[in-house]
Amino acid sequence: MAQTITFTVNGSAKSVEIEGWEKLIDVLRDRLNLTGTKRGCDDASCGACVVVVDGEAARSCVYLAKKLDGKSVVTIEGMSNGTALHPIQEALIEAGAVQCGYCIPGIVMALYALFTRKLDVSEDEILEELSHHLCRCTGYEAILEGARLAQKKMAERRG
Amino acid sequence: MDLKYVGKNIARPDAAPKATGRVQFLDDIRLPGLLHAAFLRPEYAHAKIISIDTSEAEKCEGVVKVVTGRECRFRYGENIKDRLPMAVDRVRWIGEPVAAVVAESVHQAQLAVKKIKAVYEPLPVYIDARDSLKKDAVLIHEDAPNFVRLPGMEPVPGTNIANRYTLKKGDVGKGFAEAEVVVEGEFNYPFSSSAAIEPHGAIVWFHEDKTIEAWSSSICPFIVREDMAHVYGLPISDVRVHIPEIGGCFGYKSDVTIEQTVAYVASFVPGRPVKWVATRKEDLLSTLIGHGFRTQIKIGAKKDGSLTALKTTILHSTGASMDTGIHVLIACTHNSTGAYEFPHCHLEGLSVYTNTPPVGAYRGYGHQESQFAMERMMDILARKLRMDPFALREKNYLGPGKVTSLGERLWESNGDVKKCADRVRGIVFANKKKPAEDDRYYYGRGFAALMKSPKGASFSSKSCYLKFNSDGSVSINMGGAEVGQGLRTVVRQVAAEALKISPERIRVYTEIDTQFSPWEWQTIGSMFTIQGGRAILRAAEKAIAQMKRTASQVLRVDEDRLVYDGDSIYLNHDPGVRVAVTKLARGYTYDDGVTVGEVVHTTADARLPRQSNPDACGQGTMGITYTFGAQACEIRIEKATGRVLIDHFVSCFDVGKVINPRQIRGQVTGGVMMAIGSTLHEELKFTPDGQAVNPHFSKYRFPTILDAPKKQTVEFVETPEQIGPFGARGIGEHPVIGVAPAILNAVHDAIGVDFCEIPLTKEKVLQAITAKRAR
Repeated sequence: MAQTITFTVNGSAKSVEIEGWEKLIDVLRDRLNLTGTKRGCDDASCGACVVVVDGEAARSCVYLAKKLDGKSVVTIEGMSNGTALHPIQEALIEAGAVQCGYCIPGIVMALYALFTRKLDVSEDEILEELSHHLCRCTGYEAILEGARLAQKKMAERRG
Repeated sequence: MDLKYVGKNIARPDAAPKATGRVQFLDDIRLPGLLHAAFLRPEYAHAKIISIDTSEAEKCEGVVKVVTGRECRFRYGENIKDRLPMAVDRVRWIGEPVAAVVAESVHQAQLAVKKIKAVYEPLPVYIDARDSLKKDAVLIHEDAPNFVRLPGMEPVPGTNIANRYTLKKGDVGKGFAEAEVVVEGEFNYPFSSSAAIEPHGAIVWFHEDKTIEAWSSSICPFIVREDMAHVYGLPISDVRVHIPEIGGCFGYKSDVTIEQTVAYVASFVPGRPVKWVATRKEDLLSTLIGHGFRTQIKIGAKKDGSLTALKTTILHSTGASMDTGIHVLIACTHNSTGAYEFPHCHLEGLSVYTNTPPVGAYRGYGHQESQFAMERMMDILARKLRMDPFALREKNYLGPGKVTSLGERLWESNGDVKKCADRVRGIVFANKKKPAEDDRYYYGRGFAALMKSPKGASFSSKSCYLKFNSDGSVSINMGGAEVGQGLRTVVRQVAAEALKISPERIRVYTEIDTQFSPWEWQTIGSMFTIQGGRAILRAAEKAIAQMKRTASQVLRVDEDRLVYDGDSIYLNHDPGVRVAVTKLARGYTYDDGVTVGEVVHTTADARLPRQSNPDACGQGTMGITYTFGAQACEIRIEKATGRVLIDHFVSCFDVGKVINPRQIRGQVTGGVMMAIGSTLHEELKFTPDGQAVNPHFSKYRFPTILDAPKKQTVEFVETPEQIGPFGARGIGEHPVIGVAPAILNAVHDAIGVDFCEIPLTKEKVLQAITAKRAR
C-alpha cells in the first residue's frame, strides 16, 4: 500500500510516496537517485549499505522505509561539500584503504556515526564497528589504520 | 637507475571519487526506458525440463516480457562452446537461468518470477568429479564431443570428462626408479567464490539501428563485444561495451559469463535497455565460482633430498560448463611442481563436468590449489628424510639454469626464490623459538615457497593511447580494467617516469568503452603492470620521437642531436637552443602562424613475447616471466575451541621493482586475507543433490576484520625483470598462493596433525586435538 513519508536527507526535507515493501536503500537509490549507498548482500551482512539515521548507523537494505517518517538521514553524499572531503574520507584515502571503493561509503558512514557519538572510543570498539563491514580488497589493515587516523584528525579539528 | 616517480607512494587518482560515493558502478547506471530482469532458477541441480508455464507471470503488473530458453539456438564460450545463455530442455546446475521476467522495476520482475511454473524430471546429481567419473554416471552433456572448441581440447566420448591435459617432462618411470624415498598424498581445495562486494551485473540494449550497446562489471569488454557480435551476426564494430567502475573482481568477472544471458533476454525487447544485477545468492551461484580441485601427488626423492620425480593427477569438478575452467585446470596442473625443479614429471589434469556452477578464474588461477599440495608434501617429505625442510627446499629450488615442467629454462631475471625464502625465514624462524604450549594455546610456525607462472594467450596485448595536451599535460587511455588493484596509479607513475613529467600532469581515462578505448585482451593474470607498463613505455617513446621530429625542423638540427627532458627539447651540446614541449603538442606554430609537425598523440601495444602453443608433451613457452616468493606464519591454536589465530603473517615476493609501496602492500595484505578466508573459513557448499547450503553472506563465512592477522609483514626482493617497466613483475594473485600450506604446516608444527583439506575450521581442529588427547 502506497503511503507518503516525510524525512530529511543530508539536511534537506523530502516527501516521498513509497510502497509498504520498500527499504531505505530503495528510497535512496531508486527514488532519490542517491546511488552512493551500495547494495552488496540484501541480508544485512556486508555493511556496504550503511547510512546514518538519527545519529545511528543503519543497514539501509533491511530498514523499512515506512519507519523513516520524521527521521533524519545522512548518506555518503552528505559527507563532502563539493570542495572538501570529510576527515574520515581523507583518512581512509591517506591510509590506502580505498581500493575498489565499493565498501567505502558504508564504512565512512559507520565511522561517522561511531565518532560522532563518542570520539575517544577504544581500538576494540572500532574493531567491533568495522567487524560488520566486509571488504575483499584490503585485508582490513588499511581500513583500521584509516579509522584510527580519522579519529585523530577529528580530535585535532575539534581542538 | 635513478627513478623519480616509480617506487614512490604517489596518490591514487580514483580514491576521492570513490570515497565520496560519486563513481558509477554498474547498478548506479540509469538509462532512459530502462527495464529490469529477474530470473527463475531451477528447483533441481540436474533435471529435464518438462514444461514451463509463464501465463500467470505475463499477467503481472509491470511485466513487459517473459523469456524462456525454448527459442535459444546458440551456445557460446571462448574455449569450448558448452555454455547456454538459458537452459533449453535440461538444467545442469542449481544457479542456471531457466526463465526470465523483464519488467518496469526489479520488484515487479521478482514478483512475477514467482508465478512461473516449471515442471522437471529429476536426473542423478554429481557435485564432485569423483562421482561424475563413475562408470554408470549419466552424461551431463551428451553432445559434448560435438561442441565447437579450440584445437587440443578433447572431451572423452561416453564420459563426463570434458578435457584431459597431460604434461610430460623427462621419463617419470625412470625418475621413480631412481628415487630412494617416495611420498604420496591427496589434497582438496573445495569450491568458493571470489565474492567481490559488488555483485556482478550487466545491461544490454538492442538498438533500433541493429547495433548492440552493453554495460558490464566485467574486466573483458573486448571479448564480450566479439562474443556478442558473433552470436548476433553483427560486425564487431557494431557492438559497443562500456565498463563502469568495478567493485572488485578477484577473477570471476573475467571471461564472458552473465553478459550473454542478459543479451539473450534483452533481444526479446529490442529498443529498450535491460539491466540485471545479481542478488548475492545469484552472485554466488549463477556467475563463476572458484577452485573445486582435488590433487593427488606422488614425489620421489633421493636420501640427500634431491627430487627425482613428480606425478600429479588433478581432478577438477569444473561445473556444468568447462569453458572458463579449462585454463585454470591447466595452470593448476603445470604449476603443481611449485618452486622446484623435477627432472621427471608426469602431470595430468582432468576437467570433469559436474552439476555445480561453472568454475572460472579466481585470484591465483590454479596456483594455490596444487601448490597447497606441493608445499604440504615438502614438509612431509622432509620429515620422512629427517631433513631440515628449508634445506630440502633449497636443494631443489628453481632458478637460473633450472628447467620448469613446461621445459622453460630460467634466468636470473626470473627472480630469486631463495632470497625470498631467506627473508621470510629470518623474520619468523631464525634465532628464536616458538612459544611453549601453555594452558590456553598451542603455538606453531609454518612456511611455504611459491611460484607464479604466467598465464595468458599469445595474442593477449594491452594497448596505450597517449595524448599530449597544449599545456604539456598528458591524457592516457588504456583498455585495462581498474578493479581496485590500482592500475591507474601504476599508469600514472610509469608514464611520469617515461615522460619525465610530474604524475599530477597525467590523467588516466576512467571508463572503458570499446568505442574509444584501445584494444586489450582482458585484464587478467597479474599482467597489467608488465604488459600495460610496457605499452606505456612504447607509446611514450613514440611521442618523444614525434616531438623530436618537429623540434628538429624548428631548431634546424638533426633529430639525433636532440634531448628531451619533460619540459623541452634541446640541443645536447648547447642546451640554450631549445623549444618547449607546450609549443610542440599540436605541432609548432611560428610567429607568422605557419605550423609544422604533427599532433603529439601515439598508440602502442605490448603482447606476451613469444608465447607458444604446447608441443606433443604439453611443453612450450608461456611467453613472459615467472615470479617467485615465500610466505610464513606464526599461529596459535586455542585449545578450548580449536580456533586458529594468526599472530603474524609474513610474505616476500621477488617483484622485480616496486612501483608503489603503499599499493603493493595493499595487494599483498588483501590477498593474504582472502586466502586466510579460504584456508580457515570459506567454502561454497552443496548438498549431495546439488542444492546450495550457504549462498548468502550471513551463512557463507566471509572473513571479517576480526579474522585478520594481528600483524602482517610484507617484503620484496627486487631482481629486475627484462620485460616489465623498470624491471617490474606482477603481484595481484601471488599473495594467495602460499597461505594455505603455510598455515597448515604451522598447524602440524603446533599439534602434530597433518591436514590435507581446507577450510580447516575450528571444529575440525578441535576434533583433532580431542582425538590426540584421547590417544
